[in-house]
Amino acid sequence: MSKKRQGFLKTVKKQAGLQSMVIPGVIFMIIFCFMPIYGLSIAFKNYTVVDTLATAKWVGFDNFMIAFRDKFFWKSVVNTLGISFLKLLIGFTIPIILSVMIYEIKDGPFKRIMQTISYLPHFLSWIVLGGMMISWMSTTGMFNEILLSLGVISEPRNILLDADKYWLIAVLSDVWKEAGWGTILYLAAMAGIDSTYYEAARIDGASRIKQILHITLPLLKTIICLNFILTVSGLLKSNLDQTLVLMNSQNRVKAEVIDSYVYRMGITQGDFSYAAAVGLGVSIVSLILLLSANYLTSKINDESVL
Amino acid sequence: MRKGLSKWMTKSIALLMATTIVLGGCSKKEGNVTSSGGDKAANASEARYELDPETPAWKLDPQEMTELTWYVNADWWNSDWGNDIITKKIEEDLHVKIKFIVGDDTTLNTLFASGDMPDLISVFDASSQVALKANSWAQPLYEVADKYDPYFRKVASEETLNWLQLDDGKSYGYANYSNTAADYESGLINTKTAFVIRKDIYEALGSPSMGTQEKFLNVLGQIKTQYPELYPFGFNAFTTESTGSMGDPFQDFIGVPLLDDNENFYYRNLDEDYLSWIKTFSEAHRLGYISDDSFADDGTAFEEKLKAGKYATIMLDGTPQSSGFLTSWMNANPDAAYIAIDGPQSTVGNQPTLNQAGISGWMVSYITNQCKDPAKAIQLFTYLLSEEGQILTTFGIEGVSYTINDEGKYVLTDEAKEMQKNDNDRFKKEYRIGEFFFFGHDKYKAYGEEPFPESIKQLNEWGQGKLVPHFIIENTSPDAGTEEARTNTAVTTEWTTTLVSLIRSDSDESFNSVLESYKSFLKDNGWDAVVEIKNQKIEKNKQKLGN
Repeated sequence: MSKKRQGFLKTVKKQAGLQSMVIPGVIFMIIFCFMPIYGLSIAFKNYTVVDTLATAKWVGFDNFMIAFRDKFFWKSVVNTLGISFLKLLIGFTIPIILSVMIYEIKDGPFKRIMQTISYLPHFLSWIVLGGMMISWMSTTGMFNEILLSLGVISEPRNILLDADKYWLIAVLSDVWKEAGWGTILYLAAMAGIDSTYYEAARIDGASRIKQILHITLPLLKTIICLNFILTVSGLLKSNLDQTLVLMNSQNRVKAEVIDSYVYRMGITQGDFSYAAAVGLGVSIVSLILLLSANYLTSKINDESVL
Repeated sequence: MRKGLSKWMTKSIALLMATTIVLGGCSKKEGNVTSSGGDKAANASEARYELDPETPAWKLDPQEMTELTWYVNADWWNSDWGNDIITKKIEEDLHVKIKFIVGDDTTLNTLFASGDMPDLISVFDASSQVALKANSWAQPLYEVADKYDPYFRKVASEETLNWLQLDDGKSYGYANYSNTAADYESGLINTKTAFVIRKDIYEALGSPSMGTQEKFLNVLGQIKTQYPELYPFGFNAFTTESTGSMGDPFQDFIGVPLLDDNENFYYRNLDEDYLSWIKTFSEAHRLGYISDDSFADDGTAFEEKLKAGKYATIMLDGTPQSSGFLTSWMNANPDAAYIAIDGPQSTVGNQPTLNQAGISGWMVSYITNQCKDPAKAIQLFTYLLSEEGQILTTFGIEGVSYTINDEGKYVLTDEAKEMQKNDNDRFKKEYRIGEFFFFGHDKYKAYGEEPFPESIKQLNEWGQGKLVPHFIIENTSPDAGTEEARTNTAVTTEWTTTLVSLIRSDSDESFNSVLESYKSFLKDNGWDAVVEIKNQKIEKNKQKLGN
């Protein structure tokens, strides 16, 4: 035992130069990432603005039970999952397709302009974009004008007031905003593909589509899996900015997500404990989702990306 | 080389360990914060000057200079000190320098948790948890005043302090813009709610009455045919939690009672008179007089339409806040300015009972247990509450930023006016007029020559005599963090959805079914418990108000 320990110290001493670079980082992590975990104990306490961790009363799982028994909370869970799954379905595949399409365009001004245009909406905040969406979807807005002139509808309707369409609005507007930005990772990965693969394929007579299916996509597998795992672990996270801007009194039944509900019930009322409890619960479920997605992809891939 | 490196490493580790221990130490200090603070205040020496109830203590205090820290629970607060005429004058008169700390609830919590409390704290909302637990971290104002500055009693409003009393019978904070019953009667406070119509339209239609429901619909119908490009009727933006001007402001407008016949809680949203008007609005919506966009618009969208004169008539709440938009519309179209008319009236003969900022006020300021110099702190309170301080913070310094004209009104100097118009940022920085409002009160506005912009003058005149205090139902929501508070929030959101659905309902049957389902929502979600709490709070309010 002591010999082993001496051995350890010896190694540390030997690596002094390298260790001196690592240890500050580790200590930094301990102070700023691990010590604050202690603060999660407020989820089990009745903690208010004027309390300290020491003075707040322990209440056990009360805060969790409040959320658990609250049917409005569960409604927000349903909405969150609904929107997230749609986003996973549409928002996850479109950047892949888009990046392959951009990759297939010949280098030149057209490609660059295309890329820039597709990135643009990403840089607008939801506050700005939300205002635009509200006016586009109003009775005199762009969408109603188009639908009217095409004869699809006979009377203008405010689209945002239609609760049944909210999920679609939320998903499509988010995809439109983020799809271009989402291609960056894939394009970077594609830039690393050896061009001789394509040359060989062309000599063998493979068509463009065949090249995409048999070279590009298989080589993107790892990065796709990584993105998939990250997206799945974020299923319970929702876009708070987007919700707060687009939600109104009529679409609220479909628009309220976990984050906005906790924001309204917890944060705005100074109920830190409740917010912490829900946050902790969401994190635990997210961790489970992350691990199962990783398990699933590693089964398919024979290797884990995490 | 190696050796030097390892030595450096040992040192750096030691340093980091020390940091860890210090940081760990912070969290250990927590437990005894409040008690030690209390002792400190109790042991503080007696006043360093002879007390005189007839003279404000700041004139007696020989202290050279005191530095106080003041926490303001608002990120946007301008934390500058001593660079503008107002804070410079306060510093000269009181020999005090203030260091402001700003932030949100989280910052405030950090201050409480670390035990390193500022000397003064200002928060918003007298019913927040911080305010309700003030007895654990702040000093009772009357006790501090008796010890260091009895003149405080002469300038502070007793009603306001009584209102802010906690259960122990002591008042710890002082609220600004707290209007008392006397203020309501004085006529110096203006209304903030009005039913307005564009003047050109009003005159073109022959100044019609819109008092009854038939006349209301009739006028909107005429507007719809004669001005197809306008929205016949608009209102403040709905949010998920607020019904804009169609909730409380409209209820006040048609005079829905505040309490029931037995002086108990009255659920105004289900008042028959009110609902019959909502039914009229629903008809108006069916006839196309109310646009669906009005329910989806956010505040900004509403303001833009207001600025562009897009509404023919508006149920408008918060007229002072809207005055900028009304002014820009009026400047561009002087003949089409919005004017207040009597508008919709009660079907059962109630008179308007318009509301204004109540007795709870806006920001509440406290002297903490750990205040280094409570004497100086209470002097500051007294100074800012006195007429001298109020005029200083509202108008600045005579000869520098304002002069008094022949009629005895306070007017800005030409130099100040010029700067306000051309370089508003510099004006705010150098003069800071009307921005140091910890103890501000609306009645001092009336000292000025033109306290309100032209665009809302007529609106204010219309509202004269229509204000009725709503103190009895102020702060009657259940305390945050309780089961009832959650129910109350759920009910409020549900009501917003319901009200919009009621107005948008396409037939009388669907109107009634939406209303019925809301009533069963109340029953199924424990509304009775909320009503009970509200009744208890109303009882308490009655006691505080002394009737």
